[in-house]
Amino acid sequence: MTIFKFALKRSFSNTTNIIFLTLFPIACIFLPNGEEWPFLPYGYQYFGLLILFVGIRLATIILEDREKGVVKRLAVAPISHFQYLSQNLLAYSIILILQCIIVVYGGVLLGKELYQPGWLFILYGSFSFASLAIALAWISIYRNKDASFLVYMSLIFIIVVLGGLLIPIEIFPDLLKRVAVIFPTYWLAEGLKWIVFSEEILDFLLINGVLWLYTIVFVIVGSIRKIN
Amino acid sequence: MMIASMQGVVKRYGSQLVLDYIDLDIQEGEIIGLLGPNGAGKTTLIQTLTGITAFERGKVELFGQTENPFSNQNKEKIGLVTQEITVFEELTAKENLQFFAGVYGLKGEEKKKRVAEALEFVGLADKGGKMPTKFSGGMKRRLNIACALTHRPKLLIMDEPTVGIDPQSRNYILEAVKKLRDSGTTILYTTHYMEEVQSIATRVVIMDQGQIIKEGTVNELIQTVQHEEKVKMDVTDPESVPIHSLEKIAGVKKVIVSGSQITVISAVHSGNLDRIISIVKEYAGVLGIQADKPNLEDVFLTLTGKHLRDKGGE
Repeated sequence: MTIFKFALKRSFSNTTNIIFLTLFPIACIFLPNGEEWPFLPYGYQYFGLLILFVGIRLATIILEDREKGVVKRLAVAPISHFQYLSQNLLAYSIILILQCIIVVYGGVLLGKELYQPGWLFILYGSFSFASLAIALAWISIYRNKDASFLVYMSLIFIIVVLGGLLIPIEIFPDLLKRVAVIFPTYWLAEGLKWIVFSEEILDFLLINGVLWLYTIVFVIVGSIRKIN
Repeated sequence: MMIASMQGVVKRYGSQLVLDYIDLDIQEGEIIGLLGPNGAGKTTLIQTLTGITAFERGKVELFGQTENPFSNQNKEKIGLVTQEITVFEELTAKENLQFFAGVYGLKGEEKKKRVAEALEFVGLADKGGKMPTKFSGGMKRRLNIACALTHRPKLLIMDEPTVGIDPQSRNYILEAVKKLRDSGTTILYTTHYMEEVQSIATRVVIMDQGQIIKEGTVNELIQTVQHEEKVKMDVTDPESVPIHSLEKIAGVKKVIVSGSQITVISAVHSGNLDRIISIVKEYAGVLGIQADKPNLEDVFLTLTGKHLRDKGGE
């Protein structure tokens, strides 16, 4: 588990990452409630945005390894690409899950109205995996980490807005409402609504199912590129 | 004992033939200097030999295995020093080595010991706790080498390990390579610096356009392009030296006088140097003698030509 251990170490190796991984999730807990929208406190609505940023920050470490040629060196070592990738993704997943625990259960401790914290944690967990998978697929297109990160930041902004995470989707025209379903952020926003209004459990399963589908598809896409 | 072998290996990138039926044997204890102009196929050869890149035809044998040459068991015996500096800048030098040692399955005290040995070997024993970002180019290169040494590979492949570093670091690395050879490591060394190969290689392989165009020891290669010997003498009074006497010496092809310098060109292996000097000394004072012999660079340029190779990477 050398790669896993060092993936964790490397994730916390610079100030920006430490801020993203520790201070930002804590800050989310303290953001106030909205008046009419969002239904959960602001921090819990925007935590999805943070998960997307953290996903790309962490996945960029893999791109950096490819950019520098570390992956080439590892290809000669007695370790498979699957082991390399799975140990990295495991480390990043643990970091994301820890963030979800901090945000959800930190909120519970502070007495925030989170309706169903257990389900909320599961929803954030599913979205974290989807976010990581999308980031993995995204970096597989690029050779340069800076270009990858900058373009992804712009993309995140678009999918967060169009998915209904920053603005309520109800105010969108019909066409955009229909387009929104292709974004994982739409499913997160729907999930957050479900947490508050507790409709059918099947709806919640569908939401998580879609997020897991994103995860599987994008992990496969992102795993194909190995060395160069 | 044969460490590695490539037989009839063919590799194409699209329609471009990058390895054109390569045959190469690497024997235990050798330092093979792999030379070639840009785009010759050196890096592809290394990547094919180590299993990084698949090949479409031919056979690769590693440590006697042809069925599954790139097994984990064989990979444990190979070390790769990449052309790029492939170290983690966010980890200390020691952590970098711990990472690579761990990847090769080293644990506990053994890992600790090997990491300390590798740092010592590349002259970074007192820099283990420092980040590579604080290192000079030469120190980074040495750390890059150390990362390939913790597991004590039997076959060490070094792809241009001295690019862009100061002469002291280069000298240190070359001495380290010799020490590794003395300890039984077989080394495949690619570089653009002929003098490096001349000083360390037991055998030289020259590649061009995906083919191995020549191989042998440095002396063997030099002999293939050496058709004449040239002796230049700075003398006090060149006009007094009887040129016709020099021309009559067995093997002498031509004598040229230019200013205070007399140049005598003879057939290769004439063995007439003593006779030439004694005649010149009889008539004039000899201020200096210089025997021009071709070097590896002459061999390289003769075999690969002098035109520029700016087409791009390999």
